[in-house]
Amino acid sequence: MRDERGHWYLLTGFVIGIVLGLVYAWLISPQQYQDRDTSPASLQPEFKDQYRAMIASAYVATGNLPRAEARLELLDDDDVVRALAEQAQRTLGEGNSPLQAQALGLLAVALGQGESALIPTSIPNETAAPDQTSNTPQITNTITATPDESTSEIAPANPSPLSTDLTPQATRTSNITATPLPTRTPTITPGSPFVLQENNFVCDTKITGPLIQIIAENSSGQQLSNREIIVTWEEGEDYFFTGLKPEIGPGYADFLMSPGVVYEVRMAGGGQTVPDITPAECETQSGRRYWGSWLLVFSRP
Amino acid sequence: MRRWIWFFIVVLLGVGFGLTYGWVINPVKYVDTTPAKLRSDYQTDYVLMVAEAYQAEGDLDLAARRLAVLGDSPPAEIVRQAMILAAQIPYADSDQELLSILASEFQTWSPNPGAPQP
Repeated sequence: MRDERGHWYLLTGFVIGIVLGLVYAWLISPQQYQDRDTSPASLQPEFKDQYRAMIASAYVATGNLPRAEARLELLDDDDVVRALAEQAQRTLGEGNSPLQAQALGLLAVALGQGESALIPTSIPNETAAPDQTSNTPQITNTITATPDESTSEIAPANPSPLSTDLTPQATRTSNITATPLPTRTPTITPGSPFVLQENNFVCDTKITGPLIQIIAENSSGQQLSNREIIVTWEEGEDYFFTGLKPEIGPGYADFLMSPGVVYEVRMAGGGQTVPDITPAECETQSGRRYWGSWLLVFSRP
Repeated sequence: MRRWIWFFIVVLLGVGFGLTYGWVINPVKYVDTTPAKLRSDYQTDYVLMVAEAYQAEGDLDLAARRLAVLGDSPPAEIVRQAMILAAQIPYADSDQELLSILASEFQTWSPNPGAPQP
Protein backbone atom coordinates (compact mmCIF):
# COMPACT_ATOMS: atom_id res chain seq x y z
CA MET A 1 0.00 0.00 0.00
CA ARG A 2 1.50 3.36 -1.01
CA ASP A 3 1.25 6.37 1.33
CA GLU A 4 -0.16 9.43 -0.54
CA ARG A 5 -0.35 11.83 2.44
CA GLY A 6 2.73 13.87 1.43
CA HIS A 7 4.78 15.91 3.88
CA TRP A 8 2.07 17.94 5.59
CA TYR A 9 2.71 15.96 8.75
CA LEU A 10 6.08 17.68 9.01
CA LEU A 11 4.48 21.13 9.01
CA THR A 12 1.91 19.93 11.52
CA GLY A 13 4.64 18.63 13.81
CA PHE A 14 6.56 21.90 13.56
CA VAL A 15 3.52 23.96 14.47
CA ILE A 16 2.71 21.66 17.37
CA GLY A 17 6.29 22.03 18.56
CA ILE A 18 6.14 25.83 18.38
CA VAL A 19 2.90 25.88 20.35
CA LEU A 20 4.35 23.58 22.99
CA GLY A 21 7.51 25.68 23.20
CA LEU A 22 5.59 28.93 23.59
CA VAL A 23 3.26 27.48 26.20
CA TYR A 24 6.26 26.34 28.19
CA ALA A 25 8.21 29.58 27.78
CA TRP A 26 5.34 31.98 28.44
CA LEU A 27 3.05 30.09 30.79
CA ILE A 28 4.70 27.15 32.49
CA SER A 29 8.21 28.38 33.08
CA PRO A 30 8.72 32.07 32.39
CA GLN A 31 10.72 32.34 35.60
CA GLN A 32 14.00 31.61 33.95
CA TYR A 33 13.93 34.94 32.16
CA GLN A 34 11.61 36.83 34.43
CA ASP A 35 14.50 38.38 36.29
CA ARG A 36 15.47 40.37 33.24
CA ASP A 37 12.41 42.57 33.19
CA THR A 38 11.47 43.13 36.80
CA SER A 39 12.89 46.59 36.97
CA PRO A 40 11.28 49.37 39.00
CA ALA A 41 9.50 50.43 35.80
CA SER A 42 7.31 47.33 36.11
CA LEU A 43 6.02 48.23 39.57
CA GLN A 44 2.39 48.92 40.31
CA PRO A 45 1.65 52.66 40.36
CA GLU A 46 1.39 52.84 44.15
CA PHE A 47 4.70 51.02 44.54
CA LYS A 48 6.23 53.30 41.94
CA ASP A 49 5.15 56.21 44.11
CA GLN A 50 6.73 54.53 47.09
CA TYR A 51 9.94 53.89 45.16
CA ARG A 52 9.98 57.50 43.95
CA ALA A 53 9.44 58.74 47.49
CA MET A 54 12.29 56.56 48.68
CA ILE A 55 14.56 58.05 46.02
CA ALA A 56 13.61 61.54 47.20
CA SER A 57 14.26 60.67 50.84
CA ALA A 58 17.65 59.23 49.97
CA TYR A 59 18.43 62.34 47.92
CA VAL A 60 17.54 64.63 50.82
CA ALA A 61 19.75 62.51 53.07
CA THR A 62 22.77 62.42 50.76
CA GLY A 63 22.40 65.32 48.34
CA ASN A 64 23.61 63.03 45.59
CA LEU A 65 21.69 64.29 42.57
CA PRO A 66 23.33 62.12 39.87
CA ARG A 67 22.48 59.04 41.86
CA ALA A 68 18.89 60.19 42.31
CA GLU A 69 18.67 60.86 38.56
CA ALA A 70 19.96 57.40 37.75
CA ARG A 71 17.46 55.84 40.10
CA LEU A 72 14.57 57.85 38.72
CA GLU A 73 15.57 56.78 35.24
CA LEU A 74 14.71 53.22 36.25
CA LEU A 75 11.08 54.17 36.78
CA ASP A 76 10.78 55.08 33.11
CA ASP A 77 8.58 58.12 33.69
CA ASP A 78 7.78 60.20 30.64
CA ASP A 79 8.57 63.40 32.52
CA VAL A 80 10.56 62.81 35.68
CA VAL A 81 10.20 66.32 37.08
CA ARG A 82 6.48 66.40 36.48
CA ALA A 83 6.01 62.98 38.07
CA LEU A 84 7.85 64.16 41.17
CA ALA A 85 5.97 67.42 41.36
CA GLU A 86 2.60 65.75 40.91
CA GLN A 87 3.36 63.20 43.58
CA ALA A 88 4.50 65.98 45.89
CA GLN A 89 1.19 67.74 45.35
CA ARG A 90 -0.74 64.55 45.97
CA THR A 91 1.20 63.80 49.13
CA LEU A 92 0.74 67.34 50.36
CA GLY A 93 -2.97 67.12 49.60
CA GLU A 94 -3.30 63.94 51.60
CA GLY A 95 -1.67 65.80 54.46
CA ASN A 96 -0.15 62.80 56.19
CA SER A 97 3.46 63.28 55.23
CA PRO A 98 4.53 66.88 54.62
CA LEU A 99 8.19 65.91 54.97
CA GLN A 100 7.79 63.38 52.20
CA ALA A 101 6.11 65.98 50.03
CA GLN A 102 8.93 68.38 50.74
CA ALA A 103 11.54 65.78 49.79
CA LEU A 104 9.76 65.10 46.51
CA GLY A 105 9.45 68.81 45.85
CA LEU A 106 13.11 69.43 46.60
CA LEU A 107 14.19 66.73 44.20
CA ALA A 108 11.86 68.06 41.53
CA VAL A 109 13.28 71.53 41.91
CA ALA A 110 16.87 70.28 41.93
CA LEU A 111 16.30 68.28 38.76
CA GLY A 112 14.47 71.15 37.14
CA GLN A 113 17.37 73.43 37.82
CA GLY A 114 20.00 70.88 36.95
CA GLU A 115 21.98 71.36 40.09
CA SER A 116 21.99 70.18 43.68
CA ALA A 117 22.64 73.35 45.59
CA LEU A 118 19.62 72.73 47.78
CA ILE A 119 21.09 69.90 49.77
CA PRO A 120 24.50 69.75 51.34
CA THR A 121 26.29 66.72 50.03
CA SER A 122 27.26 64.34 52.78
CA ILE A 123 28.20 61.41 50.54
CA PRO A 124 30.07 62.77 47.56
CA ASN A 125 31.13 59.41 46.19
CA GLU A 126 29.08 59.09 43.01
CA THR A 127 30.72 55.91 41.85
CA ALA A 128 29.13 54.20 44.80
CA ALA A 129 25.76 54.05 43.11
CA PRO A 130 25.00 50.52 42.02
CA ASP A 131 22.87 51.87 39.23
CA GLN A 132 25.83 53.70 37.80
CA THR A 133 27.83 50.60 37.27
CA SER A 134 28.03 48.81 33.99
CA ASN A 135 25.25 46.36 34.68
CA THR A 136 22.58 48.96 35.08
CA PRO A 137 21.21 51.69 32.85
CA GLN A 138 23.14 54.89 32.53
CA ILE A 139 21.63 58.31 32.34
CA THR A 140 21.20 58.99 28.67
CA ASN A 141 19.09 62.10 28.66
CA THR A 142 19.59 65.47 30.23
CA ILE A 143 16.77 66.94 32.18
CA THR A 144 16.52 70.66 31.75
CA ALA A 145 14.06 73.24 32.86
CA THR A 146 12.28 74.07 29.66
CA PRO A 147 11.12 77.63 29.53
CA ASP A 148 7.37 77.53 29.59
CA GLU A 149 6.14 80.81 28.36
CA SER A 150 2.60 81.56 29.25
CA THR A 151 0.88 84.78 28.70
CA SER A 152 -1.85 85.82 31.05
CA GLU A 153 -4.20 88.68 31.06
CA ILE A 154 -3.86 90.64 34.24
CA ALA A 155 -6.67 92.82 35.46
CA PRO A 156 -6.48 95.29 38.29
CA ALA A 157 -7.05 94.25 41.86
CA ASN A 158 -10.55 94.27 43.33
CA PRO A 159 -12.37 93.48 40.12
CA SER A 160 -16.08 93.38 39.79
CA PRO A 161 -17.26 89.79 40.13
CA LEU A 162 -18.32 89.71 36.50
CA SER A 163 -15.71 91.71 34.78
CA THR A 164 -16.40 91.91 31.07
CA ASP A 165 -13.35 93.97 30.30
CA LEU A 166 -10.88 91.45 29.01
CA THR A 167 -8.49 93.96 27.60
CA PRO A 168 -5.13 93.08 29.02
CA GLN A 169 -3.66 95.89 30.99
CA ALA A 170 -0.40 94.17 31.41
CA THR A 171 1.12 91.06 30.05
CA ARG A 172 3.04 88.70 32.27
CA THR A 173 5.50 86.39 30.69
CA SER A 174 7.06 83.89 33.01
CA ASN A 175 10.45 82.61 32.04
CA ILE A 176 12.04 79.81 33.98
CA THR A 177 15.75 80.01 34.13
CA ALA A 178 18.09 77.46 35.61
CA THR A 179 19.46 79.88 38.13
CA PRO A 180 21.13 78.49 41.23
CA LEU A 181 19.20 79.02 44.39
CA PRO A 182 20.66 81.55 46.77
CA THR A 183 20.84 79.23 49.75
CA ARG A 184 22.06 75.73 50.40
CA THR A 185 19.42 74.87 52.94
CA PRO A 186 16.11 73.21 52.23
CA THR A 187 14.43 75.02 55.07
CA ILE A 188 13.12 78.51 55.13
CA THR A 189 15.92 80.97 55.47
CA PRO A 190 15.42 83.40 58.28
CA GLY A 191 15.45 86.96 57.16
CA SER A 192 13.29 89.93 56.62
CA PRO A 193 9.64 89.08 56.03
CA PHE A 194 8.06 89.00 52.62
CA VAL A 195 6.05 91.96 51.47
CA LEU A 196 3.35 92.01 48.83
CA GLN A 197 4.58 93.50 45.58
CA GLU A 198 1.65 92.74 43.30
CA ASN A 199 -1.96 91.74 43.82
CA ASN A 200 -3.69 91.20 40.51
CA PHE A 201 -6.84 89.49 39.39
CA VAL A 202 -6.06 87.32 36.37
CA CYS A 203 -8.55 86.30 33.70
CA ASP A 204 -7.04 83.41 31.79
CA THR A 205 -9.15 80.72 30.17
CA LYS A 206 -6.20 78.33 30.34
CA ILE A 207 -6.32 78.31 34.14
CA THR A 208 -8.82 75.83 35.49
CA GLY A 209 -10.54 76.66 38.72
CA PRO A 210 -10.26 79.69 40.96
CA LEU A 211 -6.63 79.74 42.03
CA ILE A 212 -4.53 81.78 44.37
CA GLN A 213 -1.25 81.96 42.49
CA ILE A 214 1.83 82.89 44.46
CA ILE A 215 5.24 83.93 43.25
CA ALA A 216 7.97 84.38 45.86
CA GLU A 217 11.00 86.42 44.86
CA ASN A 218 14.05 87.91 46.45
CA SER A 219 14.99 91.55 46.16
CA SER A 220 16.62 91.03 42.78
CA GLY A 221 13.57 89.35 41.30
CA GLN A 222 14.93 85.83 41.51
CA GLN A 223 12.22 83.31 42.28
CA LEU A 224 12.55 81.42 45.57
CA SER A 225 11.56 77.81 45.93
CA ASN A 226 10.50 75.95 49.06
CA ARG A 227 8.84 78.96 50.67
CA GLU A 228 5.81 78.18 52.77
CA ILE A 229 2.55 79.99 52.20
CA ILE A 230 -0.26 79.92 54.74
CA VAL A 231 -3.86 80.28 53.68
CA THR A 232 -6.55 80.78 56.28
CA TRP A 233 -10.26 81.04 56.03
CA GLU A 234 -13.12 81.11 58.50
CA GLU A 235 -13.19 77.40 59.09
CA GLY A 236 -9.69 76.30 58.46
CA GLU A 237 -6.10 76.77 57.47
CA ASP A 238 -3.80 75.15 54.95
CA TYR A 239 -0.26 75.58 53.81
CA PHE A 240 1.68 74.88 50.68
CA PHE A 241 5.12 75.49 49.22
CA THR A 242 6.61 77.20 46.24
CA GLY A 243 8.64 75.09 43.85
CA LEU A 244 6.31 72.12 43.54
CA LYS A 245 5.45 73.11 39.97
CA PRO A 246 8.89 73.77 38.57
CA GLU A 247 7.57 73.67 35.03
CA ILE A 248 5.88 77.01 35.78
CA GLY A 249 8.54 78.56 37.97
CA PRO A 250 10.75 77.67 40.93
CA GLY A 251 9.06 80.31 43.06
CA TYR A 252 5.55 79.50 41.95
CA ALA A 253 2.77 77.87 43.95
CA ASP A 254 -1.00 77.82 43.72
CA PHE A 255 -4.00 76.98 45.84
CA LEU A 256 -7.47 76.02 44.66
CA MET A 257 -10.17 78.13 46.29
CA SER A 258 -13.72 77.07 47.06
CA PRO A 259 -16.43 79.38 45.74
CA GLY A 260 -17.93 81.65 48.33
CA VAL A 261 -15.05 81.37 50.79
CA VAL A 262 -12.97 84.39 51.78
CA TYR A 263 -9.28 83.72 52.29
CA GLU A 264 -6.30 85.41 53.85
CA VAL A 265 -2.85 84.70 52.49
CA ARG A 266 0.54 85.26 54.02
CA MET A 267 4.06 83.94 53.69
CA ALA A 268 5.27 81.88 56.63
CA GLY A 269 7.73 83.51 58.97
CA GLY A 270 5.87 86.76 59.31
CA GLY A 271 5.17 89.41 56.79
CA GLN A 272 2.25 91.03 55.14
CA THR A 273 -1.15 89.35 55.21
CA VAL A 274 -3.34 89.71 52.15
CA PRO A 275 -7.00 89.66 53.22
CA ASP A 276 -10.28 89.28 51.33
CA ILE A 277 -9.17 86.92 48.60
CA THR A 278 -12.28 85.28 47.21
CA PRO A 279 -13.12 83.51 43.96
CA ALA A 280 -14.54 85.72 41.25
CA GLU A 281 -15.67 85.09 37.73
CA CYS A 282 -14.53 86.41 34.41
CA GLU A 283 -16.49 86.46 31.21
CA THR A 284 -15.38 86.08 27.63
CA GLN A 285 -16.63 88.32 24.84
CA SER A 286 -18.98 85.52 23.85
CA GLY A 287 -20.52 85.60 27.31
CA ARG A 288 -19.01 82.41 28.68
CA ARG A 289 -18.13 82.67 32.35
CA TYR A 290 -15.12 81.10 33.96
CA TRP A 291 -13.16 81.41 37.18
CA GLY A 292 -10.44 83.98 37.44
CA SER A 293 -7.40 83.73 39.69
CA TRP A 294 -5.52 85.95 42.06
CA LEU A 295 -1.86 86.46 41.37
CA LEU A 296 0.11 87.55 44.43
CA VAL A 297 3.78 88.36 44.11
CA PHE A 298 5.68 88.45 47.38
CA SER A 299 9.15 89.85 47.59
CA ARG A 300 11.75 89.76 50.31
CA PRO A 301 13.33 93.23 50.53
CA MET B 1 8.30 4.25 11.24
CA ARG B 2 10.49 6.76 9.41
CA ARG B 3 7.56 9.17 9.25
CA TRP B 4 7.26 9.14 13.06
CA ILE B 5 10.95 9.79 13.46
CA TRP B 6 10.76 12.80 11.17
CA PHE B 7 7.57 13.94 12.89
CA PHE B 8 9.23 13.98 16.30
CA ILE B 9 12.28 15.69 14.89
CA VAL B 10 10.24 18.61 13.54
CA VAL B 11 8.22 18.74 16.77
CA LEU B 12 11.50 19.14 18.65
CA LEU B 13 12.59 21.80 16.20
CA GLY B 14 9.29 23.59 16.77
CA VAL B 15 9.70 23.36 20.52
CA GLY B 16 13.19 24.81 20.21
CA PHE B 17 11.92 27.67 18.08
CA GLY B 18 9.05 28.30 20.48
CA LEU B 19 11.34 28.35 23.51
CA THR B 20 13.78 30.67 21.79
CA TYR B 21 10.99 33.04 20.84
CA GLY B 22 9.31 32.85 24.25
CA TRP B 23 12.42 33.20 26.34
CA VAL B 24 14.82 35.26 24.25
CA ILE B 25 13.12 37.12 21.42
CA ASN B 26 9.87 38.03 23.10
CA PRO B 27 10.03 37.06 26.76
CA VAL B 28 7.22 37.66 29.20
CA LYS B 29 7.14 41.26 30.32
CA TYR B 30 5.87 41.75 33.82
CA VAL B 31 3.77 44.73 34.72
CA ASP B 32 2.18 45.83 37.97
CA THR B 33 4.68 43.92 40.05
CA THR B 34 5.58 44.50 43.66
CA PRO B 35 8.97 45.50 45.07
CA ALA B 36 9.33 41.96 46.40
CA LYS B 37 9.57 40.75 42.80
CA LEU B 38 12.21 43.24 41.74
CA ARG B 39 15.48 41.93 40.45
CA SER B 40 17.86 41.34 43.33
CA ASP B 41 20.22 44.18 42.47
CA TYR B 42 17.31 46.63 42.33
CA GLN B 43 16.18 45.35 45.71
CA THR B 44 19.68 45.89 47.02
CA ASP B 45 19.65 49.45 45.77
CA TYR B 46 16.30 49.98 47.45
CA VAL B 47 17.77 48.74 50.73
CA LEU B 48 20.67 51.14 50.21
CA MET B 49 18.19 54.00 49.79
CA VAL B 50 16.58 53.01 53.08
CA ALA B 51 20.01 52.98 54.70
CA GLU B 52 20.85 56.40 53.27
CA ALA B 53 17.59 57.85 54.55
CA TYR B 54 18.04 56.16 57.92
CA GLN B 55 21.43 57.76 58.29
CA ALA B 56 19.80 61.18 58.17
CA GLU B 57 16.46 60.43 59.82
CA GLY B 58 17.49 57.96 62.51
CA ASP B 59 14.02 56.40 62.52
CA LEU B 60 14.40 52.63 62.66
CA ASP B 61 10.66 51.94 62.69
CA LEU B 62 10.28 53.95 59.51
CA ALA B 63 13.18 52.07 57.95
CA ALA B 64 11.51 48.77 58.88
CA ARG B 65 8.23 49.86 57.30
CA ARG B 66 10.08 50.84 54.15
CA LEU B 67 11.79 47.47 54.00
CA ALA B 68 8.54 45.60 54.58
CA VAL B 69 7.57 46.05 50.91
CA LEU B 70 10.44 43.73 49.98
CA GLY B 71 8.79 40.72 51.57
CA ASP B 72 7.92 38.99 54.78
CA SER B 73 11.47 38.40 55.94
CA PRO B 74 12.66 40.28 59.04
CA PRO B 75 14.31 43.60 58.22
CA ALA B 76 17.66 42.34 59.51
CA GLU B 77 17.53 39.44 57.06
CA ILE B 78 16.58 41.71 54.14
CA VAL B 79 19.51 43.99 54.92
CA ARG B 80 21.82 41.01 55.33
CA GLN B 81 20.89 39.69 51.89
CA ALA B 82 21.48 43.17 50.49
CA MET B 83 24.90 43.28 52.13
CA ILE B 84 25.85 39.99 50.50
CA LEU B 85 24.92 41.21 47.05
CA ALA B 86 26.48 44.62 47.69
CA ALA B 87 29.74 42.85 48.43
CA GLN B 88 29.49 40.81 45.24
CA ILE B 89 28.70 43.71 42.88
CA PRO B 90 30.66 45.40 44.64
CA TYR B 91 29.25 48.60 46.07
CA ALA B 92 31.55 51.35 47.28
CA ASP B 93 32.89 50.93 50.79
CA SER B 94 30.86 53.88 52.03
CA ASP B 95 27.64 52.30 50.80
CA GLN B 96 28.50 48.93 52.27
CA GLU B 97 29.21 50.73 55.52
CA LEU B 98 25.73 52.28 55.45
CA LEU B 99 24.19 48.85 54.94
CA SER B 100 26.31 47.46 57.74
CA ILE B 101 25.17 50.18 60.13
CA LEU B 102 21.54 49.53 59.29
CA ALA B 103 21.99 45.79 59.74
CA SER B 104 23.59 46.21 63.13
CA GLU B 105 20.79 48.55 64.24
CA PHE B 106 18.23 45.90 63.30
CA GLN B 107 20.01 43.27 65.35
CA THR B 108 18.54 44.73 68.53
CA TRP B 109 15.37 46.15 67.06
CA SER B 110 11.95 44.82 67.89
CA PRO B 111 8.79 45.90 66.08
CA ASN B 112 6.84 48.69 67.66
CA PRO B 113 3.24 47.46 67.76
CA GLY B 114 1.94 51.01 67.80
CA ALA B 115 3.73 51.98 64.62
CA PRO B 116 1.57 52.41 61.51
CA GLN B 117 1.90 49.65 58.99
CA PRO B 118 2.67 50.33 55.34
